[in-house]
Amino acid sequence: MSAADGAVPTTPAPAANRWPQVIWLTVVWVLLWGTISVKIVLGGLLVAVIVTLLFPMPSTGPRLPFRPLPLLSLIGFLTYDLAVSGVQVSWETLRYGPRARAGIIAVPMLAGSDRVITMTAGALSLAPGSYVLQIDRRRGVWYVYALGLRGTGDVARVRRMVLYLQRRVIVAFGTAEELTACDRGLVTS
Amino acid sequence: MSLGDIVTAVLLLFGALFCMVGALGVVRLPDLPARLQAATKPQTLGLLLILLGTAVRLEFESAVTLVLVIGFQVITAPVISQIIGRSAYRTGTLRRDDLVIDELAERMSEDEDGGRAGEDRRTAP
Repeated sequence: MSAADGAVPTTPAPAANRWPQVIWLTVVWVLLWGTISVKIVLGGLLVAVIVTLLFPMPSTGPRLPFRPLPLLSLIGFLTYDLAVSGVQVSWETLRYGPRARAGIIAVPMLAGSDRVITMTAGALSLAPGSYVLQIDRRRGVWYVYALGLRGTGDVARVRRMVLYLQRRVIVAFGTAEELTACDRGLVTS
Repeated sequence: MSLGDIVTAVLLLFGALFCMVGALGVVRLPDLPARLQAATKPQTLGLLLILLGTAVRLEFESAVTLVLVIGFQVITAPVISQIIGRSAYRTGTLRRDDLVIDELAERMSEDEDGGRAGEDRRTAP
């Protein structure tokens, strides 16, 4: 989230919580070199530690729950969605062009933590044809712009897609409470 | 022609096709948010396909670097479309009359009727 929120905590994360960042930076370093050797990994670790110490990220609260299998399923779904929506938007462009129709759809938000919202917004905006126009956190509503709507059936389809995408993100990254809240929300919405 | 050649050719051609449709969309689609979809998204897919096609032909060490390109493309593409799209709605470049459904406008007008300032729709100078 951006600093414009005004609610971003400014205290740096405790050193013990920074190792995921160090590992990620090391992985990027090794990928940039393209080969893996002890010297490169150690060099990457050194650079990562220095960068992490020099530019501490703000603390984001307790550690993110992380479930590898649901994450894989989320990545798989996003890849599939990227391809399908790519074809849909291409079709819309070629077939309708200037007469392409879009809409803005309100979808209930199923979980409220910063990280889940950020990741859901990113995932929603990744696929062609849709992106998050506005997030109303107080009322818990997403406003999603979607291209290629032809009727009420399409609106319902997009709404269902957004609801289930939220659930996939929460299953991969949300806390247990968020997951139960999400399932409760799915039943009522 | 080996199998790798065919896979690469197919991936590169499809990638180029998506990039071309993206360019067409910028010309053909009616308003800014729709064009934004065409400009950013099919090209993400096109770039992914082209990079994959290239990776098939490269030796492993170089192909791994392409994974980074894909990763950062996927992380950054949504951010820019979101920011531009938001400003498009607020400055009125989005053709509201053409929308099939606009539940955000409903909510905004409710807010204004309720005497609350709400979120200003027309902040553009």
